[in-house]
Amino acid sequence: MPANPKYLSPSVWSRFAKISAALLGGYLVSAMSHVALGHWVDRGIVAITASFSTYLLWIALMIWAFLARNGWKIWGIYLLLLLLLSLAAYIGKLTTGTA
Amino acid sequence: MEKRGHNILFHTHTVSGIVISVALYVIFFAGSFSFFRDAVTNWQLSHKVTVNDQLPLDLDRQLAQIALKHTLTGRDVELNHYYNVRNIGVSLGASKDSLARVEDQNAAFFYLDTDTGDTNTYMESYALGEFLYRLHFFAQIPYPIGYYLSGFTAFFFLFAIVTGILVHWKKIVSHFYVFRPWTKLKTLWTDAHTALGLIGFPFQFVYALTGAFFMINGIFTFPLELGLYDGDEAKMNADLGYAQAVYDSHGIPLENPFRIDPFLEQTRAEWPNFNITGVQLHNYGDTNMHLTLTGKLAPNVKFNGTGQRTYRFRDRKIVSETDPRTNNTYSAGVANTLLRIHLGDYAGTALRVISFLLGLVSCVVILSGVMVWLVARDKQNIPPKRRRFNYLVAKVYMAICLSMLPVTALEFILVKVAPRTTMEFIYTTYFCIWLAATLFFSLRHTIAFTNRWTLISGGILGLLVPLANGLHSGKWPWFWYAESYFDVLLIDVLWTILGAISLWVALFKLGKPNSASKRVMAGQRKLSQ
Repeated sequence: MPANPKYLSPSVWSRFAKISAALLGGYLVSAMSHVALGHWVDRGIVAITASFSTYLLWIALMIWAFLARNGWKIWGIYLLLLLLLSLAAYIGKLTTGTA
Repeated sequence: MEKRGHNILFHTHTVSGIVISVALYVIFFAGSFSFFRDAVTNWQLSHKVTVNDQLPLDLDRQLAQIALKHTLTGRDVELNHYYNVRNIGVSLGASKDSLARVEDQNAAFFYLDTDTGDTNTYMESYALGEFLYRLHFFAQIPYPIGYYLSGFTAFFFLFAIVTGILVHWKKIVSHFYVFRPWTKLKTLWTDAHTALGLIGFPFQFVYALTGAFFMINGIFTFPLELGLYDGDEAKMNADLGYAQAVYDSHGIPLENPFRIDPFLEQTRAEWPNFNITGVQLHNYGDTNMHLTLTGKLAPNVKFNGTGQRTYRFRDRKIVSETDPRTNNTYSAGVANTLLRIHLGDYAGTALRVISFLLGLVSCVVILSGVMVWLVARDKQNIPPKRRRFNYLVAKVYMAICLSMLPVTALEFILVKVAPRTTMEFIYTTYFCIWLAATLFFSLRHTIAFTNRWTLISGGILGLLVPLANGLHSGKWPWFWYAESYFDVLLIDVLWTILGAISLWVALFKLGKPNSASKRVMAGQRKLSQ
C-alpha cells in the first residue's frame, strides 16, 4: 500500500520547509560538525573520516527532518546547531591554533 | 515504530526510490559487468595476461620501447598499472628543459602494449570493458554532469536503503522466510523486494556509500578545505594522502646508462608479495633523478598494505619510504578500504562472481520496487487517468531497464564481428540500439510483453556471444581453457549461463500466469488501451 496520506505533510510550504531542511540544512549541519570537530582533535583524522561520515550524518539528519512535525521548527533547530558548531569551531581555532 | 513515523519513512523511501530507479538500474547493471572490466577487454581482444595486479617485470625493456618514439630525458615519466590488461598507462610530464623540442614541451598520456611495444591513445584503445565501466558512473554524459548525477543517485540510494530498512525493521525476523509467489502479483513483488533488499542490504550499503564518496567527494572536501584548512588545498590533500613529492631538475644529465629493474627487484625482495603498480621517474636522465615505487601487498597477505618507496638514483639511496607491512595508519586504511570494498578486487574471481550476482540481485530489487509502486496504485479508488499514467511511467521505466540485457549481449557480439571497434562505434551502436529497443517496448501494451521478450532476446543473444567469439576467432572454449586464456573463457561461460537462465525464466517460469496475475494484467491491458 502507498503510505497513508493522513500522516504526510498536507501544505506545500510545510513540505518545502521539511525537504529544504533535510537536503540543505542537513548537509550544512553535517559538514559543519566535521569542521568544528576538526578544530578540536587531529584534523587529518577528521578529514579522512569525513570521507564517509559526512554522507552518513547527512542521511540521519535528512530522516530526522522528515520525521519532524513542523518543518520550520526543524529549520530552527538546524540553524541553532549551525550557530553552536560555528562557535565551537571558532573557539577551537583560537585555543588550539590550527589554521 | 509509531504509525506516523512508519508512514513518513515509507513515503520518503517510495519517492526517493522511484525518482532514482532508472539511473540506479543502469548503474547496477553496467556496474555488475564492471567487475569483469578487464576480462571483457581481454575477451574482446583475445588477450592473455600473465602478470596480474602489478606492472610487468621488465620495465627497462618497456621504457626502451617508449624511448623509440618519445624523448624521455628531462621529463617526469610515470608508468601505471590500472587494470589486468596488456596496456599500461604512460604519463610524460612536460620537459623541464627550456631548450627542448616543441613536441616535448607538452605533457602526454598514452597506453603501451606491454607485449608488442606499440603505443596507442586512449581513443584507440577504447574497448567494451571500458565502455560498460564508464557507463556505470555516466561518464558518457559530459563531465561533471554525469559524475554528479551518478554520485547523487548513489547518495539518494543510500537514503532509500536506510529508510527501507527502517520501514521493514519490525518485520525483519517475522517475514524473513516469507515468499508468496502464487498468491497475487502484489505480494510477489513485495516479497521479492523486501527479501532480496534485506539480503542485499550490506552489499548495497557499501556500494551506495563508496559510490557517493567517489563521484561527489566535493561534498566533504569543500567545507573542510574552507572551514578547516583555510583554503589550503595542498595541506588538505596531504592529510588525505593525495599529495605527491616534487623533485627539482639539476639540468645535468647522468653520465652512464642506467636500469631501474634492479631497484624494483630489491624492493620486491625486501617486501615479499609487494605488487608494484606505479613507477614514477622524476627528472628522467638527470643527476637529480628519483624513482618512486608505489603499490600494495597482495590482499591475501594484508588487506590494507599500501606502500611506497623513493630512491635517489645517483647514490641509490632510499630517501623516503612507507613500509607496506607496517603501514597501519588510519588514513591509509580508510582510503584503501573505501576503494577496495567497492572494486571487490581482493579475493579473486570468486568474489567478483558473487559481487556480480549481488549486483544483479540489486537490479531485481529496483525493478520489483517499481512494480510495487505501480501495483499499489492500481486500485479502484484511484482515477483511471492517473492509473493509466502510472502504468505508462512504469512501462517506459521497464523498457529502458530491461532492454539493457539484450542490448548489452548484442554489443558483445558486435564488437567481436565488427572489423574495427572504435569509441565512436561502441557509442553509436550501443546507445542507438538501446534507444530503439526502449521506444519499441514503450509502445507495446504491457510490461509483461517487455519482460518476456527482453528475456527471450537477451537469452538468445547471450547464447550467441560465445558462438560469435568462436566463429570469429575460430577458437572455442576448450582452446581458451587449454591455453589458459581464462578471461576469454570466463566471459564465454558467463554469457552461456546468463543466456540459459534468461531463456529458462522466460519460457518456463513466466509461462503460466496464475489467475490472479492474469486478472491484473488483463485489467492493465484494458487500462492502457
